[in-house]
Formats: sequence, C-alpha cells, structure tokens
Amino acid sequence: MTFLKPTRRLFLGGALSTAGVALWHPTRARAEDAVNLQLSWLHSVQFGGSYIALDKGLWRDAGLAVSLLPGGPNAPVEPPVVAGTALVGISAADYTAAAVSQGAPFKIIAVAMQKNPFTIASLPGKPVKTPADLIGKRIGMALANTPVLKALCTINNIDISQIEIVPTQYDAAPLVQGQVDCLLCWATDLPVAMEMQGVESVTMLLADHGYAVHSQTYITTEDSLANRRAELVALMRGEVHGWQDYQADPEAAAELTVAMFPDAGLDLATQKLQAERQVPLMFSDLTEAEGFGWFTDEAIAANIETLALLGTPVSPDLWDRSILEEVYG
Amino acid sequence: MTPRKRAATSRLGAICTAISRLPRGTGTLIFLMIWEVLARISASSFVIAAPSQILDYSLTHAGLLWRAFITTLWAAARGFFWGNLAGILLALVATLLPRSERLVSTLALLVFCLPLVATGPILRVLFGPGDGPQVTLAALAVYYTTFLPVLVGLRAAPQGWFDLIRSYGRGRLIILRDVRLPAALPYAVAGFQIAAPAAFLGAMVGEFTGAERGLGVLTVRALRALDLPATWSIALLAAGVSICTFSAVGALGRRLDLAPPEVLLAAPVGNPSSRWTGAAQAFLALTVTLSVWHVAMQAYDLPRFFAKRPWDVWRFLTSDPAARAQLFAALSETLSLALPGYLAGLALGAALAMLLTLMPRLSATAIPFAIALRSIPIIASAPLIVWALGRGATGTITVVAVMIFFPTLVACRQGLARTPRAVLDIFAVYASSPIRRLFGAQLPAMLPAFFASARMAIPAAILAVTTAEWLATGRGIGALMATVASTSDYNMLWSAIALIGFAAVMSHALVSMLERWVLSRTNPEQLAR
Repeated sequence: MTFLKPTRRLFLGGALSTAGVALWHPTRARAEDAVNLQLSWLHSVQFGGSYIALDKGLWRDAGLAVSLLPGGPNAPVEPPVVAGTALVGISAADYTAAAVSQGAPFKIIAVAMQKNPFTIASLPGKPVKTPADLIGKRIGMALANTPVLKALCTINNIDISQIEIVPTQYDAAPLVQGQVDCLLCWATDLPVAMEMQGVESVTMLLADHGYAVHSQTYITTEDSLANRRAELVALMRGEVHGWQDYQADPEAAAELTVAMFPDAGLDLATQKLQAERQVPLMFSDLTEAEGFGWFTDEAIAANIETLALLGTPVSPDLWDRSILEEVYG
Repeated sequence: MTPRKRAATSRLGAICTAISRLPRGTGTLIFLMIWEVLARISASSFVIAAPSQILDYSLTHAGLLWRAFITTLWAAARGFFWGNLAGILLALVATLLPRSERLVSTLALLVFCLPLVATGPILRVLFGPGDGPQVTLAALAVYYTTFLPVLVGLRAAPQGWFDLIRSYGRGRLIILRDVRLPAALPYAVAGFQIAAPAAFLGAMVGEFTGAERGLGVLTVRALRALDLPATWSIALLAAGVSICTFSAVGALGRRLDLAPPEVLLAAPVGNPSSRWTGAAQAFLALTVTLSVWHVAMQAYDLPRFFAKRPWDVWRFLTSDPAARAQLFAALSETLSLALPGYLAGLALGAALAMLLTLMPRLSATAIPFAIALRSIPIIASAPLIVWALGRGATGTITVVAVMIFFPTLVACRQGLARTPRAVLDIFAVYASSPIRRLFGAQLPAMLPAFFASARMAIPAAILAVTTAEWLATGRGIGALMATVASTSDYNMLWSAIALIGFAAVMSHALVSMLERWVLSRTNPEQLAR
C-alpha cells in the first residue's frame, strides 16, 4: 500500500497540513476551461434530460465541456454557484429566495418543475386527501421544511398548531411503522420508494392546494448572466433539447440514467416509475406552447405571493427570462 | 473477597465455560436464527433486514458493493494516513514546546468540532469534484483521537530516565528519540485502533458532500428507497472492514512486542502556572484561533456568503438579540442531553475495559460488537435507535453514549495493559485477587488514558448529540444548524459553530482541571514538563 511509504514529500506535506490549515493546493474545479452544472441531489433520473444532453453530445457540439456535479445530503447548491465552481445550479425558488435575502446575487433563468413536487403522503387507512385532513395528524418532515407546511396552512386557513410535526429524514419508514400519519416529501421520491416496496400510499400534491413555488430551477449569478452569456445560452439549449427528448420517451431516459451511472446503485424499475411520475410536474400546456423551462409573469406573481408567506419576500426581478428568450429566439 | 462474592464469581465462570464447551459456531447459528425470525415477523414495519435477505442482496449486488467499498476504502486509507500523521506531529510540537501545548490542543479541539454542515460546502468548493473532501473529512475524523493518546504516551516514562539523559548533557531531541518515542508507541497503536473505524466512517460521511460513488452514496440511496437489505449489507460491510483494520493494527502492535514499562516514578508537582499565565494563554489561544479562522478563509478567497469571518459572527450576534436568544436556548437544550450521554458513555467504556481485564474471554465477543457500534454511520443506525427508544431524551442520550463508549473502551484497555510489571509482580507475590489487583495497580495505570478519552469524548459527544437532534428529535442546536444551513442563513450557522466551539473549549478546561487534580495524586509523570 503506497500510503505507508513515508517519502520525504509526504512527510513535508503532512508537516504543512498540521499548521492548522489544509495547505494542499486544492484543485479548484475546472471552471476556467469547462462548465459545471451543480445538481441538487445524487444522480438519478430526476436529471434525466441533462444526461440525454450529455450522452447525445449536444453540449460538446456547441463547444462546451459540461460536467454534471452530483449533490448530496450535505451538498447545498448555493455555495458552489456563488463561488463560481459551478456556472449553473439546480435549486428551487424558495431556497434561492432565502439565499438572496442573505446576500447571494442569484437569478432564476429557467424552471424545470412547473408544479412544485412537494406532496403529503399518507396510508390508505388514514388518508390525507385535503389540507383539512391534516388537523390532528402527526406529520413527519425535515425540519427545514417547516415554512412549507406553514405556507400551506396559511393558504388553506388551517391552524398549524393543530398538526404535530415530527422530525424525520430520508426515509418512509416512520410512516410505514406508524410513528407518523403522513410525510411531507417529494411526489417523485418516497411515494415511489413505497410503491416499489409494495406499500400503497395516498398523495396530496401541495401545488394543487395553492402552493405555487417553482422547483428544480436553474440559478446563476448576476455576474455570470452579464459576462458568460454565450456559455449560459449553450448550456440551456442543451438542457432544453435533452428534456424535450425526455418528454418523448421517459423510459429511455431511465435506462440511460442507470447505464450512465452503474456505481450509483440505481434500480431500473424505480427509475422508470420516477421518470413517469415527474412528467406531469415538468410539462404542461405552457411548456407545449412556449417550450421547456418557460415561466410566465402570472407564475412569477403567484410565486412571489407564496414566497411572502414563507417569510422570504422577493421582487419579480429574481427571475430573468433573457437566456430562454435567446434559446428559443 | 467475601465468600459470597467468590461464589458468584465462580458461578459466572461456570456459565462461561459451559458456553465455551458448546460446539464451535452453535452460538452464532442460534443468533442468526433468532435474527432471521425476528426480521421475518417484523417485515411489514421495515425495521430489520433478515440475514438471508442481506446475503441475497450482497450476492446479487456484489460488483456494485465491491466498487463502492474500494472507493470509500481508498479515501479512508489516505485520510487515515494524513490524519494520524497530523495527530502525531501535533503531539510532538506540544511536547517539545511545552508552552505551545495549550494553544495546540485548543486549535486541535476547535477544528475537530467543526460540523459537516459547515465543512462540507467549503471543502467541496475548495476541492471541486473528486474525493478531496472525503479524504479530508476522514483525516479530520482521526487526528484528534491520535493526538491525545500520543501526547499522553510521550510523557509516560519514568522521571529518572529524563534526569539520566539530562545529566549527560543531552537535550530534548535525544530524550525524544530514546525515551519519549518508544514510550509513546503503544499509545499511538491505541490511537490508530480508534482511528481505523473513524476514518472509514469519515470517508463515508464525506461522500454526503456530493460524491459520484462509494458506500456513503449507496447508504443514502438505500435509506431513501426503504431498501433494508441494502442498508444492512452496507452497514455490515462498514463494520466488517473496521473490525479487520482494528484487529490488524492491534496485531501489528503486538508484533512490536510492547512490554509494559518500568515503574513510573516522578516527583510530585505543584501547580506551576499562576492564574495570570493561565489567562494570558487563554487570550493567546483566542487571538490565534480568530486569526487562523480569518486568514484561512481570506487566503482561499472563500465567498463571505457561506464562509463567515469572525467579524461577521460578532456583528450578527451583537446586532440581533432574538437570534442570540434562540441560539443560547438551543445550546442549553443540547448540552442538557449531551452531558448525561457523555457521562454514561465514559462510565460504560471504562467499566467494560475493567470487566474485560477480569474476564479476558469476553473480549472476543464484546470488542467486535463495540467496533460495529462505532463504525455504522449514524444516519443508518439512527432509524433503528429511534424505533427502539423513541425520539425523546433516551434516544439522544443513547446515541451520544454509543459514540463515546468505543474510543473510551479502547483507550482504557490500553491504559490497563500499561500497568508496570514490577507492580503487578508485587501483587502476584502476595497472591492478591484479580479485583484487588485491578483497583490497586491497574486502575491507577489506566487513569491517564481515561482522562485522555474523557477529553477526546467532548467533541465526539457534541457531534453525536447534534446529529441525533438533526435526524431524530428536531430540537437543540443540531436541528438549528441543519435548518439554517438549508436556508442559507450562514450567519446563524457560523454563530452556532463559534458557540459550540466555545462550549467545547470550556468543557475541555473543566476536564483538564479535574485531570490535573487526580493525576497529581496518582500519575505525577503526566504533569512534569
């Protein structure tokens, strides 16, 4: 094993690193000669359109070397975009609004999920079909999402103090085990996992009850928007084409995802189900008319209203349609 | 020993021998069968995976698991190397320049206290794609638990030897080469043993910062997919590799034939430092900490948005009384749970170490179990603990105790083995009972190692309690940090980190005071400079 050989260089390097600061010269992400797209989670068909764009060489043909950086539980999207490690990040309007209120110079340049994917999943024996059903229930959710529940309650005139919030993370086990009556999660995530395990569930999409927050949004900095327009347009053009192909054949996207990331531990059947479930969230009459990623002024107004309820008031200029206009122009 | 006690001991011995007389493997087989049945009965509530399911998953996904395992192992191995090297060098600096000890240990403690929610994004931005963050986090997970035992070991030599070398007019370096380093070797081995599972866990957790592959990635995936056989296969793999490396390091230590030292005679020492030097050292430590914090962030040009400088934190804390109140309330709630867990973990670890010297046979079962407890990522084991103990105080305290118990056990066992042979000979000559030998000879020899583990358990307890709060209880400063990190409230996050660091340093000072008070009576060689 090479790490046991105490060469002089290794020794020197170690001595330096003990100075309290990691003095290895970290290899800054290759932001200079390439473009990084920071994904919001681990590789999965959630980003299927991007994989199609990469696989078909849509970006390479446009002279762009795109790397898709996976996210994870401790990999927030905002820091790499602020630092310039990633040109574009995949975030959501609420996270972006919170970051902007903390001084981050972000703009939303496209919206992948027209409908917010947050859902409330419950078991058929004790279903939550309308917001009023939440009263007296125990809801499991990541604490960070408390504002989401608050906003839903305000929109639907429900007293949040009548709902018991139980902090859960990552899995549907608390619901299946009866620790909670329902879960706040993504429609494409835990309900899919439960169905694959043979557990039937009832879902109530928040977007169907007034919760209008754009999700899987493409964010970049004001600086990049001003100075790296050509790269942004080329990147988004690839995304648009990739996601159009995805819409035509979500199953093929699932197969491509599993083939592209053999080390990600993906299950093909799960990926296919997830691919199918996210289609109605991403594509609508609006995208049929205007194209993938588009957003209207009405949608922005609705977002601003919900975001104000979430405690992060924003102005309409958080959204910038100019890149999409160039892509479709 | 009273006759009744003796009878109890012999009855226990009889049970032990009866169990050991069963055909080899019978116990394991019964254990597996009970496990299988329990898992099958509780299948609908998704709590435990059956051994047969685990085997099935491991075989059908052997290639995937192997590739992930190698990825994580390689990052862990490099982290292990760098982390231990750093720990040893820090201990050498603190020994050779005794004046710097306070500063070095404070900085080492503070860096060890940095939570993943803050270090994750910073490391990812610094290193970009690749496994840099994983290696760094593995190294960060081990350096402190090597630094402390080695520091103890470098002093675990008789005063007479130092005097001898000094009387020949030789200096510190010769003392280091001929006395200190050989004395520290067994302590370093114990440090490496603690480091082995920690490095692997650190590398796995490092993958949460956005990695392409590895066992940590698979854990997250399996948990979300409610895929119990996968979760358990990964957990067993992590536990298995930790047990193997732990044993390998131990075997290496035995190959070096580390005989117990001579009697450690040292003159009793008074308290040399006045109150003023103590205050001056504390002030120096504070200044250096703040400078390192500021300069490191400036040097790497980290955006102020997520890498807050000391001044940002100060301004935030002084300008926002509501945030300050929220922060202090969360911290006091956290500390009220961390303290009982900390004490329970220390007591359990030390008690088990003593029990194992009385009944060495037990260690074949107890040690692998203890390693497994330490090497399974808390996010994988938390659902089980929560299911068993609920989301209240009991679950949190248990998580803290579990995380502390293992390093304490290893360090204390090592300390017990360092009992001077001459002392043991005296007890043997008088045909003393094992209990008497334990309390008369071995326990005092264990004390320096025990206090070293009490010090290294401080940051471990903080880490465990904040993780449990984040995953299960949703209260305290751990939950606060998780929430503010996801809403980009990095002012609050860094304020929480600063406060946690301060609490850790204060607790450390408290334990050190207690340590000084006890060791000045039992092990004065540790206090001689």
